[in-house]
Amino acid sequence: MKLPNYRYLAGLCAIIIGLIAILTLPPTQQNIAGWILSITLQMATPLVLAAIGGMFSERGGVVNIGLEGMMLMGAFSGAAVAWYLKDAFLGVLAACAAGGLLAAVHGVVCVKFKGNHIVSGTGVILFGTGFSTIMLELVWHQKGQGEHIANTIPDIVIPQIQNVPFFGPAFSAISPVVIFMFVITAISWYVLYRTPFGLRLRAAGEDPSTLDSAGASVEWTRVIGVIISGCLSGLGGAYLSIGFGSAFAKEMTSGRGFIALAAMIFGNWTPIGILGAGLFFGFLDGLNYFIQIYFQALLPFANFIAMLPFVLVVVALGLIRKSVPPKADGIPYEKEKRG
Amino acid sequence: MSEQDDTSIEVYEQISENISKVGQIIQGLISKVTSKEFIDQAIWTIGSILLALIVAAVIMLMGGYDPGQAFIWLAVGAFSQFDQVLWYASPLIIVGLSVAIAFRCGLFNIGAEGQLYMGSMASALLAYLYSFPILIHPILCLAVGMLAGAAWGFIPGLLKAYRGAHEVVTTMMLSYTAILFTSWLVSSNGPFWDGSSVPRTPQFYDTALLPLIFGNYLHFGFIIALMAVFIVDYLINKTVLGYEMRAVGYNTEAAEYAGINSKKNIVLALVISGALAGLAGSTEILGTYDRFTARWSSGLGWDGITVAVLGKNNPWGVLAGGIFFGALKAGGNTMHAIAHVPIEMVKVIQGLIVLFVAAPRIIEWLMDHTQENKDDAKIEPAKVVPRLLIAIFGLASVFIGLAASRVALISGLISPVVSIGAIILMLTAVIGTLLFIAEYSRNPRGTQLLLIIAIGWLLGGGIFSIGVGYLDITSILMGAIALVFWFAMLLLTKRETEEAIL
Repeated sequence: MKLPNYRYLAGLCAIIIGLIAILTLPPTQQNIAGWILSITLQMATPLVLAAIGGMFSERGGVVNIGLEGMMLMGAFSGAAVAWYLKDAFLGVLAACAAGGLLAAVHGVVCVKFKGNHIVSGTGVILFGTGFSTIMLELVWHQKGQGEHIANTIPDIVIPQIQNVPFFGPAFSAISPVVIFMFVITAISWYVLYRTPFGLRLRAAGEDPSTLDSAGASVEWTRVIGVIISGCLSGLGGAYLSIGFGSAFAKEMTSGRGFIALAAMIFGNWTPIGILGAGLFFGFLDGLNYFIQIYFQALLPFANFIAMLPFVLVVVALGLIRKSVPPKADGIPYEKEKRG
Repeated sequence: MSEQDDTSIEVYEQISENISKVGQIIQGLISKVTSKEFIDQAIWTIGSILLALIVAAVIMLMGGYDPGQAFIWLAVGAFSQFDQVLWYASPLIIVGLSVAIAFRCGLFNIGAEGQLYMGSMASALLAYLYSFPILIHPILCLAVGMLAGAAWGFIPGLLKAYRGAHEVVTTMMLSYTAILFTSWLVSSNGPFWDGSSVPRTPQFYDTALLPLIFGNYLHFGFIIALMAVFIVDYLINKTVLGYEMRAVGYNTEAAEYAGINSKKNIVLALVISGALAGLAGSTEILGTYDRFTARWSSGLGWDGITVAVLGKNNPWGVLAGGIFFGALKAGGNTMHAIAHVPIEMVKVIQGLIVLFVAAPRIIEWLMDHTQENKDDAKIEPAKVVPRLLIAIFGLASVFIGLAASRVALISGLISPVVSIGAIILMLTAVIGTLLFIAEYSRNPRGTQLLLIIAIGWLLGGGIFSIGVGYLDITSILMGAIALVFWFAMLLLTKRETEEAIL
């Protein structure tokens, strides 16, 4: 029998020791710890969703730095539809569709028209930022921030576990999107490693000519990967505007698309690694709220905490290990012409 | 033979002596401008810009703005305020050069924004903390700014050369680090805060500021930008370093075999790129502003990428691209003031231009099919003309569909029925684009798309009519036209197959 990877074992041990440590704390501090867990999960959700989306795109061989633009499109469309139709579920669908549509443009430019992936991604970011801001003014006739949306994604409330120490505050009222984050991690692991589509996707990113000679379409596989990335980023954006928050604001993702990119690299382009990295970056993001409420002495250094994900990625890439992106990531595939 | 050659060389030398040096340069320019490569690239770039403007027009129509008026005011604004155009252009040109020179070495410096912040911060510190004589002060400030930017480019360069860390990732991450770091420095908790309610430094000494050269905006930074264009052009095309960088950019392994130290060149390219980005930040902070405010640049680094992309990473192209985007920005203000189109429209246009320039094959595809359609139209017009008509109908249905769905959404009657009608109309508009593509490239699937569009129009129009209580004639009419086209296409293909059998 193959032993599980030692890194996962070490992670598991750390989690168990942490849990024991927290459970021995007095109740008030346990509540604070529970609150931190809850904010970590909330802040991690958009990051993990977008990062897993980015993984689908990059595993298929298309570099997607436009996650930020797709998240913004999703955040806007979700908010607008939820506001017009007074239904959060339709809003989520619209967010996925809008993100997917923008991603489809990126995919077609990169795959069909063999454009430079990073240039196209820059275009996607600029377009997403500008378009969502214009539409904000058009839909709500306000600048900077849209109107309050009453119909946000409802939390799933489980009153029975409210008094469970540590987990109570985080899981007794939890957004379905947060649960979906865990579900999608599992699903994408299964899809990537256990289904024909996942095999094709990985082949498209590692060695497209082999995939081509096996008779599958490299172009379609890649485009589908990019569209999945757009849908998930759109969902992550929608969580910001109609899940965690309740209004769309100008440039409300504030760089989360790039942190998601960092999480994807930190997680080494694997679903479970991304979940870990995303939770960690979400924890750092949540620390800001924690400092504001419980630990104001650290407030002057909030910027440094916000810096940490970026610095960590640079340090990790530079000093700890070489990152190994999919081999054909960012290289357009040219089919060989028949003689 | 050899005698003939000698004489011809002599004659040539005599001729070339007669032509003055200026004439030679002009001749060189003319031969460059008339070369096929240049014309091809110019056509692609202009075509991309036009396509981007068309898509922007669709978006404006959807938002209920008048694109014609908007573009006119954009142009008027750009041409009437030339000093503002150049003012906007000067930092863009320098950042564009920064991105372009890295790209020539095969590196994508996506974090010019961070290098720009570090550069401007460094020169801001020198500008307000220390006093120097009038000429020396700005020069020192600019030099320090370049050094700071170069240092911020040195880190990703080292990581790329010796650890293989991808520069896109490291520069991007360092860019956010720089933004957060500089905004902390000038915040109320940082050491360089001026004590006001805004996170910013105290005012600079007057000696440090760059002089204005024309009007109320245009400062000496533009001259620096022009000088930078000359120097970068010389560096890339005329020096050993530039040659080596280009060699590494084309093919790293081949350059290694030719004895070029690719690691050194990668580091140097990013250092120079960082220095240029730092210079851009310094000129802007000393010329336009008189103090460092947190997050002042609002995306100059990103704009630099678009400028480099539009200029095809050629210094002179970057100059043109910078002036073009400067004109967009200056004209955008006029467009906002008079036509009331939001200023972010400029960003959207910029993004679209980059998307289209990124894919030169879109223009290639359009040109190829135009040629094919033109050739075939001469031979058998009866088969080509209906298809072209349908393609035009597809394009028209995009515009009308978006406008109709917008009317439906903003009609004030927000009911699920109206919304569903509007969404169907919007989808029909999107399919209209596909119909155009299919019919233009004469894909047989166009006929099926036509039927889908007909159904979409009738369904969307019908549902909308039910929702609002009056008949939506436009949609029904479009649906009817689509049905007629579809029927005609059916007959046509039927006749074609019969002819083929006979």
